[in-house]
Amino acid sequence: MAQAWLLADILSAALLRRASLPALWPQWLGLLVLAALRAVLIAQGRRLAFDASQQLGSSLRARLLRQAQALGVPGLRAQAGGDWVTRMVDGVEQVLPYFARYLPGAASAALLPPILAVFVFPADWVSGLVLLLTAPLIPLFMVLVGNAAERASQKRYAQLRRLGAAFIDALGGLTTLRQLGAAERVADQLQAEGEDYRRLTLQVLRVAFLSALVLEFFAMVGIAVVAVLIGFRLLWHELAFRDGIFVLLLAPEFYLPMRALGGLRHARMDALAAAGDLLEFAPAPIASCAGVPGERPAGRGAPTVRIENLHYSLPGRGVLLRGLNATIGPGITALVGETGAGKSTLLDLLLGFAAPESGQIRIDGVELARLDPAQWRARIAWVPQRPHVFAGSVRDNLLLAAPDAAPAALARALTASGLDVVLARLPRGLDTTLGEQGLGLSGGELQRLALARALLREQATLWLLDEPTAHLDADSARAIDTMIRAAAATRSVLLVAHRLEAARSADQVLVLRAGCIVEHGAPRALAHSRGAFAALLAAEAP
Amino acid sequence: MTRALPAEIRRLLAVLRPQRAWLWGGAVLALLAALAAIGLMAVSGWFIAAMALAGASGAAINYFSPAAAIRGLAIARSGGRYGERLVTHEATLRGLTDLRAWLFRRLIPLAPARLAALRSGELLARLRSDVDALEHFYLAVLVPAAVALGGTALVLLVATLVLPIAAPVLLIAAALAGVLLPAWTRRRAAADAAHAVREAAELRGSLLDALRGHAELLAWGAVDAHAARIAGLDVRLAARRRRIERVQAMGSGASMLLAQLAVLAVLVPGLAAVHAGAVAPPLLTMLALLTLALFDVLAPLPEALAQWQATLTAARRVFELADARPAVADPATSANIAQPPAIRFERVCLRYAVDAPWALNELDLELAPGARLAIVGASGAGKSSLLLALQKFYPLQRGEIRFGGQPLAMLRGDDLRRQIAVIAQHTVLFDRSLLDNLLLAAPAAGAAQIERAVSLAQLDAFVSALPQGYDTPLGDAGARVSGGEARRITIARALLQDAPVLVLDEPTEGLDANTARELYAALDAAARGRTLLLVTHRLGGLARLVDEVVVMCAGRIAERLPVRAYLARESSIAVTMPGGA
Repeated sequence: MAQAWLLADILSAALLRRASLPALWPQWLGLLVLAALRAVLIAQGRRLAFDASQQLGSSLRARLLRQAQALGVPGLRAQAGGDWVTRMVDGVEQVLPYFARYLPGAASAALLPPILAVFVFPADWVSGLVLLLTAPLIPLFMVLVGNAAERASQKRYAQLRRLGAAFIDALGGLTTLRQLGAAERVADQLQAEGEDYRRLTLQVLRVAFLSALVLEFFAMVGIAVVAVLIGFRLLWHELAFRDGIFVLLLAPEFYLPMRALGGLRHARMDALAAAGDLLEFAPAPIASCAGVPGERPAGRGAPTVRIENLHYSLPGRGVLLRGLNATIGPGITALVGETGAGKSTLLDLLLGFAAPESGQIRIDGVELARLDPAQWRARIAWVPQRPHVFAGSVRDNLLLAAPDAAPAALARALTASGLDVVLARLPRGLDTTLGEQGLGLSGGELQRLALARALLREQATLWLLDEPTAHLDADSARAIDTMIRAAAATRSVLLVAHRLEAARSADQVLVLRAGCIVEHGAPRALAHSRGAFAALLAAEAP
Repeated sequence: MTRALPAEIRRLLAVLRPQRAWLWGGAVLALLAALAAIGLMAVSGWFIAAMALAGASGAAINYFSPAAAIRGLAIARSGGRYGERLVTHEATLRGLTDLRAWLFRRLIPLAPARLAALRSGELLARLRSDVDALEHFYLAVLVPAAVALGGTALVLLVATLVLPIAAPVLLIAAALAGVLLPAWTRRRAAADAAHAVREAAELRGSLLDALRGHAELLAWGAVDAHAARIAGLDVRLAARRRRIERVQAMGSGASMLLAQLAVLAVLVPGLAAVHAGAVAPPLLTMLALLTLALFDVLAPLPEALAQWQATLTAARRVFELADARPAVADPATSANIAQPPAIRFERVCLRYAVDAPWALNELDLELAPGARLAIVGASGAGKSSLLLALQKFYPLQRGEIRFGGQPLAMLRGDDLRRQIAVIAQHTVLFDRSLLDNLLLAAPAAGAAQIERAVSLAQLDAFVSALPQGYDTPLGDAGARVSGGEARRITIARALLQDAPVLVLDEPTEGLDANTARELYAALDAAARGRTLLLVTHRLGGLARLVDEVVVMCAGRIAERLPVRAYLARESSIAVTMPGGA
């Protein structure tokens, strides 16, 4: 492309001594047409690279989702600490410039110089030789000077990213820092760390940039040598003026792709760091309940769940359930026990989020493993321990659980959960947009939202409630207890209770310790039996 | 010159002022390197043409000085680039450090009353990208702009000297390619760009939801529906970005075409002038090459213009945040606090906005030194507001709080808060080592003090299990800390502060009864000899920790009674509940 155009340009320039302007019109025209063609081709190339990177982004996102789903609920929960999820999601965006810009750049750096050389040679073999000799020297020297320095500067760059993260971390905790009287000190610290980083980094860069200097130097000296050689050979009539200018115009183009590549260093380093994060995430999937598609649970009423000799363990967390036996029938079953006893794990297994290693869960006599998990979950209303608030309005969040809920059902769920009182305070009510992690609602208000969401599933006959009254004051908690009590008339309710007051009003209490049920029975009887439940009660007693 | 710049940019330059020598140095070096490159092309073009003509006519020519100039310019160009890179990096890093420290110091007195933004991770992420944009201002806007201006000026100057008619042509071409064309593409893509930003945020949010809320989606059978939503967003966003990309590609294609047209526009009158004998042919060759060099210098301008817009938006947001007035004024020096300090709330009224309901409404409360008091009440009764007011984080609309006999207005916030150790509802640990986290409030604490605080907070086992002990980084890269452990770290941190007043906001939320009981025991030991203020919902174990209970309701104290009397009454209510045991 370029060479052909340049040729036309040279022709016209060469003829400047003889031909008049109008006589050159074919060249003028050719020049314009070629320039237009070049612009179109370059735009097309950009478009292709862009489309490819967009497609890659989509497929990376899809892959991330698939992997996360394969990881399963327990595995994902273990990963979700800190800003890991954010890093994954933002990492996808950061990888793309590598493909949209760096790779095409690298391809042209590899392909264009030889092609240009092919055109230079017939015009002037001496200049071609100069170019060919300097070109391989560039990558060679870059490897020699640059490799170690490049690695070092990559490390520095990673550190810069960490420095930025520490700055934001400190900003996010500014109130805490003020409480501790440490804000000014942290400000000094941030500045000192920035200074240290700058000093060390510039030491590294002084060497790292040598590779760029070498590149630049060879490119410039290459051009200069070509220019001077051409000049002298023109003087000695060894070269046509047209060819001379042609080669001179091509010389910068020859080095351009290699130099442009240097400018994309940051895109590459960002992408490599992000890709490292993405690759790091190659999770071992955790078996969830596969089930038998289409198989529905038999009964329609409150189910009886029989749990037999259940064993379950997770890599990295050890044995979580060891030989758990229990029966959860109509009415309220309270599950109590210390943090880490396995309460939430049992709920995961009941929801089919994880498959037991051995043992069985039977629903009205049918093995859970023989049911369609989706059909089974359709009968469950679940309040998780840490409810997730989805981006969108309060209404969006509620309807996610029951897209077809009628307005009347929505109103019932709002009243029963006490969310109606919360919404009455909000100017936009149900249409209030909830920020990330439920920004704008307090812990108690979020808890009511989670409760309302579960209650919206009115067809559910099994309620799995993981601390439904956390973050609520005593009066509100009692009101919720009463609501659950009323609902339990036609349902089976499994209630994980830290607040033992709720357990006292249950029909049955299961005491979980180290992965098995150590005690079960009516709360009143257990309270007087001097057993595990009585001990827990004593621990909570005033 | 700076007066022509928008106010936001002038503010930014003012913040960066201490580094102006480096900033200008980098820009000047960048300009010199660019000029050397332009000069190299120009001199080479002239040289070749002159040599060819000399060869053709057999005339003598001085080829030593141009050949030396070519070599000299090549070296100047390479060396200049090297120096430019070092100096601009130095300037960027200096500016970055200054900017962050400046912003951080500006925001300190604003937290938490004026910094609602920092409570949300999402807004914090936006602040982060805003600061990034400001940090990139120098390299992405200032340097390319300086190079483009300087380069254009040089080319125009040479053009005026060689072929006066070419100067206006080049000026118009430069304005078109450098300013008008990028501005046009931005306008064309503006609507799509705004939508794309929103949709990208939406896509990101949905993806985050899919990962964080996977369990819920699974439970509701909504996994596929949500994935379909993400795919739909993805397609829409890709289409929009493609449209933007197309406009931009069109813009850069047009700019390329413009470069060729400009060469023609210079050559046509140039050739005429050569034929007329007004201009030497080698100079025309040089001018043609200069025209191409001009477009090289202008090439980064569209990107710089886009970055300029981003900088303006970011600067507006950052300075708006930084320019907020602190909610509470501090005196220059603090009055003397009587030790041990008594605390008195006198008819205190507090609300967070003019139209908001009263969070504290005529609240009266008195705490003798060494008092141990629990505050209970429904959510929204004003418990947390009471603690925030005590720490002088929010201004009181009416009434007064006295600490150690002094009204808060007479005390500097920092001096006051040094007297109050707070264990907040939301545990905040920093992404630093365990030791750094512990020492935040007491940088000078010795090993013995640390050991004592750690053992009082019952952290010994946790610390000895850590691979690197106290140097273990907390957070993503380091130890994953459980909720109970994090809470105990903050307790040890508060103990190291060694303040006469200890304030606890829901310290046992999310812990089971036994863990909570152990924590209360730790707190009991820690609170010995101090005034204790505890906000809680949990009544178990309360009698061991406090002597009195205050019940809050609608922003005031409803009643104050001994802890045993309160607990006895509460348990009798529990028994009369329906279904109660």
